[in-house]
Amino acid sequence: MIIPIRCFTCGKVVADKWEEFSNRVKNGEAPKKVLDELGVSRYCCRRMFISHVDIIDDILKYSEATTKKSQEV
Amino acid sequence: MEISTVKREGNTIRFMVSGVTPAFANALRRTVIAEVPTMAIDDVMIIENTSVLFDEFLAHRLGLIPLTTDLDAYTLPENCECRSELGCNRCRASFTMEVEATDRTTTVYSGDLRPDNPAIKPVGEKIPVVKLAPGQKLRLEAYAKLGRGQEHAKWQPVSACTHKYLPTVSVDVSKCDGCGDCVKFCPKCILELKNDKLTVRNVEECTLCTECVRHCAKRPCPIKLDWSEEDFIFYVESTGALPVTQIVEQAAKQIGEKASELSQLIKRAK
Repeated sequence: MIIPIRCFTCGKVVADKWEEFSNRVKNGEAPKKVLDELGVSRYCCRRMFISHVDIIDDILKYSEATTKKSQEV
Repeated sequence: MEISTVKREGNTIRFMVSGVTPAFANALRRTVIAEVPTMAIDDVMIIENTSVLFDEFLAHRLGLIPLTTDLDAYTLPENCECRSELGCNRCRASFTMEVEATDRTTTVYSGDLRPDNPAIKPVGEKIPVVKLAPGQKLRLEAYAKLGRGQEHAKWQPVSACTHKYLPTVSVDVSKCDGCGDCVKFCPKCILELKNDKLTVRNVEECTLCTECVRHCAKRPCPIKLDWSEEDFIFYVESTGALPVTQIVEQAAKQIGEKASELSQLIKRAK
């Protein structure tokens, strides 16, 4: 759904690093390099980033569509 | 007991405790994780939530945001004089949040939590809580209180608190031919060749993985890996709720208090 606030295993805050990670990886940087530079060193925290799918953006499209529809009516 | 080689970097600290038993080292670790109190949001009053996340999902996310903690200004609710379920100024800090997305998709960040007491605020401003589509609205009040990691991980002051034995790596130079194979394979780079002689540096980095012994052609291997059972290397990483030094100090203080409580109970039993 949305990036979890903390790492499931150790409890390090990971959410505040997600936006930078996702932008930089989208621009073609290697995830390994980005994670190293963000200071995410343990593999429990690293999997939080590399295995995450941010589906909240897709779900928001549905609510955008429904609001638009209700405005039209 | 002796504490040495303290290295502090931002929210992390690495130090060595010498001359203690494994039980004591573990007591310190467990106290740091489970007994040092920190602030975290515990009650959330949702006034309006038209976002795509459920109320309880939101409340859970808010609870996990680490808050800067002032241990002198606040007391644990169970020790507070107010004896109130709702709490008072000594045992509760409150926040309000009001965000509305008007024309474009907006991300709600931890920085949108407006604290009543500026000393108790989210550790980072940029922790995303939820995303709002145009027209969606979020209004809530949140109450934070002191708590301990043993009750819920959101009150844990640390994200990592580990200890390991101090490794000892010795090389029998007379039997080592200085081929340097082990130097390449050591993942922590603690071995190096100096004038064709194998030497050890930063021995505290060693994880005792035995890769060096595995890749050594000589049998028996001239490298001997061992560890000291009374020296411990601690690594503590704070979430930012409390300064890392204060966490360790507080834990040590609590062990002391518990020990004196125990000895008093024993005296009374006599």
